[in-house]
Amino acid sequence: MSSLDVALGDALKTQGIGGAALLDAVTGLSYGELGDVSGSQDACEIADIARTRLHQAGAEGDLESVIVTTATRHLVTLQVSRTGDPLLLCATVDRNRTNITWALRDLARHADDLLR
Amino acid sequence: MIDESTEPGTGSRNIPALLAELRSRKQSRTVRLTGSPGGTLHLRDGLVVAMETPAAPNVESLLLKSGRITEEAWSAVCAADTTHDRLAEELVAQELVGGGELEIISLSALFDAAFALSLSRPDGWEVTDPVPVLYRNPGITPERLVAEISRRTELLADRPGSVAEFARTRMQLAAPAQLPGAVGALPARLQDVLTNTDGRRTPRDIAFALGRGLFAVMLDLRRLLALGLVQSSAPVAPQRPSTATRTPSAPVPAPPAAVPLPRRLPGRNTPAPTGTPSETP
Repeated sequence: MSSLDVALGDALKTQGIGGAALLDAVTGLSYGELGDVSGSQDACEIADIARTRLHQAGAEGDLESVIVTTATRHLVTLQVSRTGDPLLLCATVDRNRTNITWALRDLARHADDLLR
Repeated sequence: MIDESTEPGTGSRNIPALLAELRSRKQSRTVRLTGSPGGTLHLRDGLVVAMETPAAPNVESLLLKSGRITEEAWSAVCAADTTHDRLAEELVAQELVGGGELEIISLSALFDAAFALSLSRPDGWEVTDPVPVLYRNPGITPERLVAEISRRTELLADRPGSVAEFARTRMQLAAPAQLPGAVGALPARLQDVLTNTDGRRTPRDIAFALGRGLFAVMLDLRRLLALGLVQSSAPVAPQRPSTATRTPSAPVPAPPAAVPLPRRLPGRNTPAPTGTPSETP
């Protein structure tokens, strides 16, 4: 099993996270997927639109996260900085089983472990 | 039981068919592509674990050029593993790069080389016994490779001209007067691409200079092209002198007959018919 799958597996142990995927923020290439990742197919494109439009609107600094919310789920996309092109950690979060603050905190912690 | 009696790949029509055949036989092989640019495909148990081609940076280039590890550290790792069979394990064991990070670099180099190789048709190929190569990933199925290559080609298809042509077009900065202001608001990544755009470098050259993937650089260049910050240089290949048969040029028009010279009329300031700038008071 690859190191990335192990790290994504750890993220999935968090209460309420049903699926996680690690994408390249520039090329959209998927480096690893686990669980229900149907929501993360266009995450790269969505993050790119958010990044570009926010910059046009005068926002400074780099994108940190994009959260898309439906009645039952959050689709959380965290940008993970590294040497070279950034990554996107996408997760499907069940709204009934956790709240967004906890999910974000846990995902940020797992994002740090991914590259080790 | 693997049937070793016939050498695989001899009857395959193209590379995807060859990879599918090697996959069904679960073979560990190295496939050498001849032609320009040519390349090498590494398979383990039927899955593709690495691809290398002069048309895109390999794992070593990505590690060194991006400044992730130094030349000295790399030489030390190569010296510690003279067979180059365990380079990935050495790199991680010496804590030069994280296991997850190396897996990401290994996968990105693999898909990038696959994309670069898809831009030209190989002259032929040769299937040999596996040779050591630096990789760290569980292996990719031929179907996933083909799907990703199609996705990438489609993403770049909105530009006029073929993707292959774009990959070898020299890029230059647009008129300098347009640059300030617009550049400052760009992410650092795009600014780095601009810094390396000098009118001589192709997207491939910029990718090598930055230690980034060819496809990633092409996506960034596409955005810079859309912003009007870069443009393609004049055609690289010198134009072949025209060998078209000379047609007699149009006969010299006879001097116009007695047409009087244009005269300036007082109170009117129409531009001269020859296109010379009008004299405004």
